[in-house]
Amino acid sequence: MIAAKNLNKSFGGVRAVQNVTLEVPEGSIFALIGPNGAGKSTLLNLLSGIYQPDSGDLVLNGETLIGMPAHRRVRLGIARTFQKIRLFKQLSLLENVRAGFHIHQDEPFWQCVLGGTRGRFDEEALALLDFVGLAAHAQERAGALPYGQQRMLEIARALATRPKLFMLDEPAAGLNASEVEFLLNRLIKAKARGITLLLVEHNMDLVMNVAQRVFVMDHGEALFEGSPRDVQANPRVIEAYLGGEIAA
Amino acid sequence: MSRRAAGYFVAAVVVAALPWLITTPYWRGILVLCAMNVMLALSLNLVLGYTGQLNLGQSAFFGIGAYVSTVLVKTYAWNFWLAAIAAVGAAGLLGLALAAFAVRLRGHYLAIASLGFAVITYQVLVNWEKVTEGVRGIYGIRPPVSGTVNLFYVVAGIALLVYLLIDNLVRSPIGDTLRAIREDEVSAASLGIHGALWKAFAFGLGAAIAGLAGCFYPGFVGTLVPDAFNIVESFTMMAMVIVGGMGTLAGPVIGAVVLTFLPELLRGFGELRLMVYGLALTLVVLFMPGGIVQVFIALKRKFTSAR
Repeated sequence: MIAAKNLNKSFGGVRAVQNVTLEVPEGSIFALIGPNGAGKSTLLNLLSGIYQPDSGDLVLNGETLIGMPAHRRVRLGIARTFQKIRLFKQLSLLENVRAGFHIHQDEPFWQCVLGGTRGRFDEEALALLDFVGLAAHAQERAGALPYGQQRMLEIARALATRPKLFMLDEPAAGLNASEVEFLLNRLIKAKARGITLLLVEHNMDLVMNVAQRVFVMDHGEALFEGSPRDVQANPRVIEAYLGGEIAA
Repeated sequence: MSRRAAGYFVAAVVVAALPWLITTPYWRGILVLCAMNVMLALSLNLVLGYTGQLNLGQSAFFGIGAYVSTVLVKTYAWNFWLAAIAAVGAAGLLGLALAAFAVRLRGHYLAIASLGFAVITYQVLVNWEKVTEGVRGIYGIRPPVSGTVNLFYVVAGIALLVYLLIDNLVRSPIGDTLRAIREDEVSAASLGIHGALWKAFAFGLGAAIAGLAGCFYPGFVGTLVPDAFNIVESFTMMAMVIVGGMGTLAGPVIGAVVLTFLPELLRGFGELRLMVYGLALTLVVLFMPGGIVQVFIALKRKFTSAR
């Protein structure tokens, strides 16, 4: 699906991502984990086009992504959510999700000014709101939603782009146990629809439950890659996560 | 008839009835001015209210529309309506030209850059005497239709049409796109929205509409001087949008009506007129941050929830 080779990104003197090579297999749930500051979010920003790498190669289904801005990558089927939720807070839930259909709006301009496109994506947007359990709140303001539901709304909005590769930056952060369970269930449903998922996640239960493959980062570098079971058993991963505490 | 169609019907009836209710030539003139201001406020609202771009260059497009149409009619003897189409095109293209620079900027920086554009345009109008006659002005300009009432019908009719088209546009997927850019550009990009392109679209369309309003101004006044398109005009338009309620459909219309008639109604205050006007603006912004339209929305909500 997406493949990165020797990706590098520095900010000033900080080498946030160093020589990272990874390949996300199509149709899988791929998890990216690592301690705080490991460079996970930076890597996600490189993949989605928020940042351009200093060096390295990045390819989606054979097409290079180097130099391609974020908005064009969406047309190739890359969607994402943000670690710090970025909703259109003053807009309704329905408007938030409808904006996600932007790349599928193919009606000519004159149809829009003559009123022929009103409600064009309402039905699909409502179906997505229903998918994340928010259909009843469609007309409410996004900023007024409780935190956990804001996360689900952001997922619905990104799904509106009809992605092939969906990258979620810590989707379970700040969710309670039942919300995490619902999220997990939705992610599996999304995968069943043929969407490849890349999760940046701290919640180990979630990762171990849904991911087929886990990629561990530390200090901007790849540390280990394998199945969830291998990762849990790997001494270097354990050290990266727990080393400090054991020493203390 | 749907509620929306009923709304447009009522608006058309009000427009048709106004010259019968207001019969003095002076106040009928103010009506024409008001219809023009409605168009200007609608044009700025598209950029400022819906797309969230702090554009202070709108007076320039108003002026470009006025000068291009007038020069084509007076110097080259064009038909007014053809000249108007050319003027709208010219204003729209210059709007896109400004956008080419402006889309890289946001907030205060955009405000300064667009203000600079308005200052440059004003200077061109003053100094390019061969074409614009500079501060001497162009005289004896005739309106496209004779009689103030007819002119009002033409301008108000076009303003109503512009309102209808914008109404459709902001409820279309393009409206969702523009609001998304206003709310959060990074988020919008993550949904495939090319922010620069759509901001340029809003700038260009807003400029074209301001240019359209400009086509009717010279014929109404009879003369054309650069001072009519001083940068202060940009701030007046902004006041109309904000006082009325930006990012709403009816807000800028209310703002334009209030800010056109208020200074006239305050003439009784003599020298204190502008002070009272300024105070009124300040109070509205202070106590109705969502604009006057906010009061109507609150009332509507109250009535629907009481039921």
